Amino acid sequence: MDTAAKALRFAWSSRQAWWFTATARTRDRFARTTLGSFWLGISNLLSISVLAVVYGTVFKVQDFNSYVVYLGTGLVIWNTIAGAVQSAPNLLRSNAGNLKNTNIHPIFYSLEEWAFQAQTFFQSFGLVLLALMVFQPTLPLHLISAGLLPLINLLLFIYWFPLLLCLLGAHFEDLYQLVPVALQVMFLLSPILYKKEALGTLGWTADINPLYRVLSNIRHALIEGQLKLDHALPLLLLNIIGTWFSVWLLERQRRYLPFLV
Amino acid sequence: MSEKNPVLELRDIWLRIPVNTREVRTLKKTLMRSVTGGSLRKTTSGTEIEALRGITCTIRHGERVALIGHNGAGKSTFLRLISGIYLATSGFFRASCPVFPMIQKSFITSPELSGLQAVKGHYLLTHGNLRGFSEYLHDIVEFSELGDFIHLPIKGYSEGMSARLLFTLLTSGNHDCLALDEGFGAGDARFFERAQRRLEEFIETAGTLILASHSDGLLRQFCHRGLVFSQGQIIFDGPIEESLSYYHGHCC
Repeated sequence: MDTAAKALRFAWSSRQAWWFTATARTRDRFARTTLGSFWLGISNLLSISVLAVVYGTVFKVQDFNSYVVYLGTGLVIWNTIAGAVQSAPNLLRSNAGNLKNTNIHPIFYSLEEWAFQAQTFFQSFGLVLLALMVFQPTLPLHLISAGLLPLINLLLFIYWFPLLLCLLGAHFEDLYQLVPVALQVMFLLSPILYKKEALGTLGWTADINPLYRVLSNIRHALIEGQLKLDHALPLLLLNIIGTWFSVWLLERQRRYLPFLV
Repeated sequence: MSEKNPVLELRDIWLRIPVNTREVRTLKKTLMRSVTGGSLRKTTSGTEIEALRGITCTIRHGERVALIGHNGAGKSTFLRLISGIYLATSGFFRASCPVFPMIQKSFITSPELSGLQAVKGHYLLTHGNLRGFSEYLHDIVEFSELGDFIHLPIKGYSEGMSARLLFTLLTSGNHDCLALDEGFGAGDARFFERAQRRLEEFIETAGTLILASHSDGLLRQFCHRGLVFSQGQIIFDGPIEESLSYYHGHCC
């Protein structure tokens, strides 16, 4: 217990530093563009539009408006989860110089990456939500009334799950090559482009897919304006345990990290 | 803190560094090993280097300690251990105050970001807030002679510019305990002289100093106690002159 607490204390005391370095990265990404961070939302909107037209036609969707909202919210959340997961295996390796030569706790790098991913999410999610209000004006209201707990679950999940992968990635040098393949398979298996009912007897695959469980919880809250407490609370418990465990593991593995990266 | 108080206490410290090769660190190889019943394990099992072997010493507040020894004797590993970069495999180690490792070779921010952002990130990490930052920044820009270049991305800096900024950044505060490696760079020749003066002032302000160097002159200038390292062990611990004599008599 004390092991994880020590790391979390450092995380809290250095919060201004890792939040700042993440924000600087976020700002720098679009420093030379006229539209700035709007590009994130625009690129998401573009892919949502194309995919909605193509798959709406392929699946012969009856209610196009609700399909766009379903696909749009799902896609923007998936992109966030996928972005966090994909960057994880190489995170420690890309900070190798500092891990070998400074006594900054490695939790700093995981939090900086998390803050960067969270900022990216809020930028794209905000614009997508604004655009999707054309099809369903109640989305912001639903977000406030039912979406906060699922949103917390998403933010916790994109911290601890990538942190576990990050520790695995330090041990297994080929992990970063497998992650995009696994993500592609997960994306196709997750009801994002299609409804869960379309999976038929394979519906259980979505139920055991942790990435989809996080995603579907927010999407349901946004679209229906209902908080599924029987899903959200166990997920919150899992996320708290996951966060504690991954930080504990990071602290346990800390002694080996300078020699692995 | 009293002059007599121990700042660092080490008793029978061992540090074993695993030598991990690419052969044993892929999921593919791990899977292969499990399928082949571990027959590959024998040929690819990891080796360990005993980087520090049974180190026992106490460093008190205000002491100026020289680490003497050949390359690979364990000086830099000792610096990394006392500053918390490496954690001991076994033994007892206690540091009563934070040890600042002056062996940093890169900024905490990405090279894509500007020098200003690197300075700000460093300041936030060491101070926790931005109070007094503008004076701090002024000092950094002035001494490093970066001028308006401070607003440009670090990836566009020359090697000398990066070294100047990093040096200025790391010598910009006071530390209770300083772990310093001689190999620490300070930019081009013109900057070197000013850097030497700043480094000397910086070292003078440190409460406790642990300095690893191959330069007898430097060690005599700043230290009054010497630890002679050989093959990861302390083979002599005494006043600086005696330590240097021992080193030159027994190890050279």
